[in-house]
Formats: sequence, structure tokens, C-alpha cells
Amino acid sequence: MIPMIWVLLTVVFLMMRVAPGDPISATLGGKLSPDELARRQAALGFDRPILLQYVDYLWDVVRFRFGTTITDNQTIGSIIIENGGATLTLTVAALIFALILGLPLGLIAGRFRETVPDAAIRVFAILGYAAPPFFVGLLAQLLFAKNLDWLPASKMASPIVQATAVEHTHILMLDLAIEGNWDGVWDVFRHLILPATTLGLLVMGVFIRLVRVNVGQALGGDFVEAARARGVPERRVVSRHAFRNALVPVVTVMGLQAALLLGGAVLTEQTFSWPGLGSRLLQYLNNRDYIGVQGLITFFALVVVVISLIIDIVNALIDPRVRY
Amino acid sequence: MRAQRMAVFGCTALLALGAAACGSSNDDKSGGGGSSGTPSAGGGNADTVILGTTDKVVSLDPAGAYDLGSQQLIGNMYQNLLSVPAGGNKPEPDAAESCDFTDPKTYVCKLKPDLKFSSGDPLTSEDVKFSLDRQLKIADPSGPSSLLASMKSVDATDPQTVTMHLKKADGTWPFILTHTVAAIVPSKIYPADAKQPDDKAVGSGPYKLDKYTPNQQAVFSLNPNYTGANKGQTPNFIVQYFEQPSALKLAIEQGDVDVAYRSLSPTDLEALKNESDKGVKVVDGAGTEIRYIVFNVKKKPVDQLAVRQAIAQVIDRQAIATNVYKDTVTPLYSTVPAALPGATQPFKDVFGDPDPEKAKKFLEDAGISTPVELDGWYTPTHYGPVEVDLWNELKRQLEASGLFKVNIDSTEWDQYKDEAFAKHTYYFYGLGWFPDFPDGDNYLSPFMRDGGFFQNGYTSKRVNDALDKELESSDENDRTEAFKVVQQAEADDVPLIPLWEGKQIAAVRDGVEGVENTFDPAFQFRFWLVTKKES
Repeated sequence: MIPMIWVLLTVVFLMMRVAPGDPISATLGGKLSPDELARRQAALGFDRPILLQYVDYLWDVVRFRFGTTITDNQTIGSIIIENGGATLTLTVAALIFALILGLPLGLIAGRFRETVPDAAIRVFAILGYAAPPFFVGLLAQLLFAKNLDWLPASKMASPIVQATAVEHTHILMLDLAIEGNWDGVWDVFRHLILPATTLGLLVMGVFIRLVRVNVGQALGGDFVEAARARGVPERRVVSRHAFRNALVPVVTVMGLQAALLLGGAVLTEQTFSWPGLGSRLLQYLNNRDYIGVQGLITFFALVVVVISLIIDIVNALIDPRVRY
Repeated sequence: MRAQRMAVFGCTALLALGAAACGSSNDDKSGGGGSSGTPSAGGGNADTVILGTTDKVVSLDPAGAYDLGSQQLIGNMYQNLLSVPAGGNKPEPDAAESCDFTDPKTYVCKLKPDLKFSSGDPLTSEDVKFSLDRQLKIADPSGPSSLLASMKSVDATDPQTVTMHLKKADGTWPFILTHTVAAIVPSKIYPADAKQPDDKAVGSGPYKLDKYTPNQQAVFSLNPNYTGANKGQTPNFIVQYFEQPSALKLAIEQGDVDVAYRSLSPTDLEALKNESDKGVKVVDGAGTEIRYIVFNVKKKPVDQLAVRQAIAQVIDRQAIATNVYKDTVTPLYSTVPAALPGATQPFKDVFGDPDPEKAKKFLEDAGISTPVELDGWYTPTHYGPVEVDLWNELKRQLEASGLFKVNIDSTEWDQYKDEAFAKHTYYFYGLGWFPDFPDGDNYLSPFMRDGGFFQNGYTSKRVNDALDKELESSDENDRTEAFKVVQQAEADDVPLIPLWEGKQIAAVRDGVEGVENTFDPAFQFRFWLVTKKES
């Protein structure tokens, strides 16, 4: 785990330094004289040898000091607190959407392999994870927000709902629920539908294919044949025996999907002006804000590693064959 | 079969649930609004104006902000000794009762009586001194402290009097005092050597900050302690931040925001102009953003004046304004925008209408064979996606004359800046400018003195003498005359070619008024001028 994070941090550090520019140039480069620009770059230590900057950076990470962003003066901790709730809301909603739609569709495709419904569901699944979220998101905005005017096109809530919300948990929907503001909760839910669906489609395709394959394999298994021989109804065979067995690998894959979800969240948040960590990461990338990019990438890496660890533990609990 | 029926039923139920969730939104367009019963969308509530923008905020502490997004908020929360009133172009007393030079290097201001910060603390000359001193002490890398370079020291002579001592005579000093660099912060609350947290910003301006969520929202209400002339008429003002201009456009169409200000594309604005049936209209006013071409006069082929003159003779600014920007910009004939005192139009006087024949004569007289090959550069990441259209139009115009063959290329801003300003790789490239303050000097000194900030190799004693003269003088006539000399040198020597000045443009919902009144050369969105009628 630690070597993986170290490699990741090193790659991020080097890539940010290889790319031309720095935060001061990005924001004020056309405004300052060359001397003033150089003075400000030196003040932030950007003129120091890259090895020294790297050692300082790693030392800060070891001490959990992720620093303060240069372009908007925020600590990494405050960014995670302010924006993490939005990303959590989006990814959990997307995962729920993917599970609700992906599992039944995978079951249908697996049960009726090589039929028209199977083919249609497989095409849907492939489109789901092959189409980039920003493309799907823009189409969804065009159709459901602009043309049909059914749903909000962007943001996490209407401005006044957000302005009047009292912060308890930094998860807006939860804060509104705590205050008993159900109109506000509904407002956030409506704002959540398009981004969560867009991001959920990405993961849903993976679930459909996985469940389809596993249901197909399970239906050909000896225990299913035995059940059928005992006269168990086909519906019960599929739901109790085949489907349940097909769900075990889904738990494993859910862990792997955490990285996909976070990656997809960056694009989805940007498309829908969703105020999560992904939007902030892109903002800092565009502004060459080393501190912001490094801090958030480190946090993302830690999240993926922790989720993988949790999934491994859960796997060991639910599947006796798994031992570490 | 039964399983199939169940599956179809399940899918249908799911879709119906989704449709129900969506469909009901038509009846509940406001989408909630909290227990207080306030509407969540922009429309309806006259107490609150919601402004949408794609600008970013770097800091709400004047010591850390040198960007437009931050300055727009700071200008509404803090007071300065002087400010440029709406529609004006000269500094006038704001927190000060009066300000004047007592000698060319000493500037004295008397404060108005009984000024208070929104915290209730009195505003005295000590706060003014503290504010200016901390700018220099903090010298934040993202801040504007360099604008105070000509200040030697500042004294709080008595509780109502501030005396500023300058290193040299500086005619722009009153303008600098209108900039956010001179915004007054409370010495009892702000640290002297560090930035104040954004969500704890306190000023004495017409509005006070109630809530700030970075990159999402800034919520303001009227400052009850404000006693100045700019008292706001709308009790609450919300600034909502968007990542994408397309999302901002949808938000104004859907009524989620009342005003969409910066930065909608010319195409979006053109579309919104035709959407009066959706309750949206587009308003505009004077702006002072400019775009121009720079020549590195030490590099071939633009080291020859005739080549630069021929290019200037061919360029059709009105065609650029219409074809590329849908008339959201206007032609610019010197780097000083027309709305500023002392602006002239030397490029119009010297070159007149675009004329390839006259351009050909410049080249023939200098013995230059045609077509002249040019490599033009632009950056799409600093000035927006329309920049490519601008350069394609320039290429078209230059090549249509038959005198030039133009290659255009682009690179990302950080590299672009290094190649243009430091390595001097480019000799023909595009740049833009927003003012620090609405004075002619801010559009001349940065470009024309000793090669300008881009170090393009141009230097002229005539120009430097005129700039020295206007800087040392506080006499308006003297300064205007000096501005005229420098602008004439732009057209005579053509070290750069001004192209256009941008209008300030916003899309507003029906019932919102006053936005156009805040559009002037000061480039300050004044919340206090905007009102909304109940709909």
C-alpha cells in the first residue's frame, strides 16, 4: 500500500513540474513585469532545485501536511471537508443507480443468453461504459434540462436552498434533512438525478456484464441442475441459486469500481458544475496549483486504497474460500 | 415467461418512477426553497438577486487578490478612500471626505465622520494606514502589493487624516487608491502579516458577507452600518459560481440565476438575444478589456516598419468585431479604450479604412518582396476559445490582400508566455489586457515604456519622456497631452496593433434592472445598483 502511494505521489509531483508554468504565471503572468513575476515565483520556492522541492514535499506528506493552495488560499483539509460531501453524494447515488439497474439487467441477460433482450442489454452495457461521461452528460443536459425542461442542468441545489442551508455534516442533502427542510431535500434530489445517472451508467455497464457472465455460469452449474432435478421452480432456481452466487464477484468488483467512480466523477462534476473534489482537482490542474493537485490526488489514492482494503475484508467474511 | 413478465414490469416501474420524479418538476419549478418559504430559483423574490458567473475567486482579503473574480466581490464589501462612481472615469471621495496633493509627493485624505465596519468597529485613519502597510508586509504572491511601489510611507496624522508619502511624483496615485489594493480593512480584526480567512471577511462597504463557500457561492446582505452614497436597494445578493459557460447559459434560461455576467461566448449571447420569450434579455455597456497584437521589433520580418505598417493597413477591425464576436466588441484604434479621458484614434487617423493597395505601397517603397511570410501565435487557454476564430479571421484578411502568407499556431498559456516574453521566440502574437484602474497610463506604460512588460524590443525617447511627464503631473490637461503623444507613437512606430475593446455584457431575467448602469470603464459590478421586481 505505502509503495503504491509513494509511486503515485512521485509521478504526480514530476508530471506537475514537467508541465510548463506555475500558479503565479497561470493567474498573473500577463499582468506582472518579468522581474516581479520572477520575484513572486522565488518567494514560493519554485526556483529551488527540483530534488529539494521533492524531499520537502514527501516530508510534508509524511507529516500529513498537505499545505495551502496558492490560487485560492484553501487548506487541503478544508477542501476535502467543503467538497468531499458533494463527491460522496454523487458517487454513492451513482453506485446505487448502477446496482439498481445493473443487477436486474445482468440477471435478465444471463437468464436469456443469446436472445434479443440479451443482445439489447449487452449493447446498452457497452454503450454505458464506453461513452465518456462528459458526452453522456451533455446529451442529458440538452434533452432533459434544455429541451424538455424537466430537470436542473447543473449545480447541487438551487441558489437559495444552498444559501439558506445550515451546515452540520457538509453533506447538503443530509444537512437539509436534519433541518427538516424536505423541499430542499427534494431540490437536491432533482439536481442529483442527471449527474448520478451519467456517472452510474459508467459503472452499470460493468455490473451488467459481470452478473450476466456469472448467472450464465451458475445456471450451468451442478448445484443448479440438482435444484432443477429436485423440482424447484425455474424462477426460484434463478433468483435463489444462480443470482445469489453471481453476486459474490460483484462485491469484489465494487471495490475496483471505486477508482472508476472517482475518475468518472471528475468529468461528471465538471460537466454538471457539481461542486465536488473532481471539479476542484480540474481547477487546480488548470491553474498549475501544485499544492491543490498533489493534495487531492493523494487523498483520492488513499480513498481507493482504503476501499480496496475494506472490500478484501468483506470478501473474506462472505466467502470462506478467501483467506489472506 | 413469468420471469420475463416480471423483468418487463420491473423496468417499466423504474422508468415510471423516474418519469414521475422528472415530470412533477414542471409543477414545482422553484424546486423547493426551504422552510422559510423563499423560492429557490432566481425568479419571484424581489429581496434577492442571484448573479451567475464563471469567474473564480482567489481571495476575499484585499492583500491576496489581484484577479477580476475576487475584485468584483471586494469592491462591494470594502470601502476605499476614493472610488470611481458609476458612469464616471475619475476618482471621487468615498470613505474620504476630501483628498488632495499637498505637494507632488504628498497626498492627504480627510475621512468622513462616523464611518463603521460591518462588525460595528469605527473606521479611522489607523485602519487606512494598517491596510496599506499590511499590503506591503504580506506582499502575497497572488496579491496586488506591487501597485503600491511608489508609496514610501503612510501616516495616520490624526484620527480623521491620512498622509501618504510617495517616493516620486505619481499622477496615477488617486487611481491606485480606487483599486482593491487600497481597500480598507479593520485593524482590530485582520492580522497585520497574514491573510484573513475568506469566510471571515469584514469591510465597511454597502454589502457584508454572510456566507462563503469557495467556488460555489457567496451570499451577501446589506451592511446596516454603511452610511455612504451607494446604499443598496436589494437586501440580499447571491453570487453563484459555474464551471462552464454552457451551464451558466442554461441557468439564466431556466431562471436559476437573475443575471449571467462573465463569461458567455458571443454565440451564446447571440442566442440569448433571441430568447425574450423565455424572459431573458441581453444588456451591455462600456468595457475596458482590450485585445491587441504585439510585434517583436527586433525580429525579422517585423523588424521592418513597412511590414508592420502594411499589416496595420490591411486589418479590418469592424469585420473582426462582426464576424468573430457578433458585435460584442468594438474596434480599437489605440490601446486606450474610447471611454477613458485622453483616448484618441491614431490608427484610424494614420491608416484610415483597410486598404490593400496602400499596404502594398508601404512594402514596395521599402523594397520588400511579397508575399511576406508571417508566423502568428495565439493562446487558447488564457483568453478563451474564441481566440482561434480571431486568428483565423486575421489570417484570412492578411492573405486576402495577396501581400502575406500567414501560418498560425497556438500553445498553452504558460508556455506561450515564456516563449513570448522571456525567450522571445514569437515576433507576431496576440495578447489581452484588463485594467488595474481606469486611467490612460494603465493602458500605455505597461506596453510602451522600454519594450513593455512583454519586452518586444521597442523603445522611444519620445514615448518615455511623455510617460514621465504624465506620471509626474496631476494636471489633467498635461496628462491628456502626454497620452496623445504616446498613442500617436503607437500608430507611427507600430510596435503593436490594437484590435478591439470589449463591451461588458450580461444576460438578465425580466424584472431585473440597473445592470447596464454598472457597466463602465471601472469594470466593477456594483451590487447596489441592481434591483429586481416581484414577478
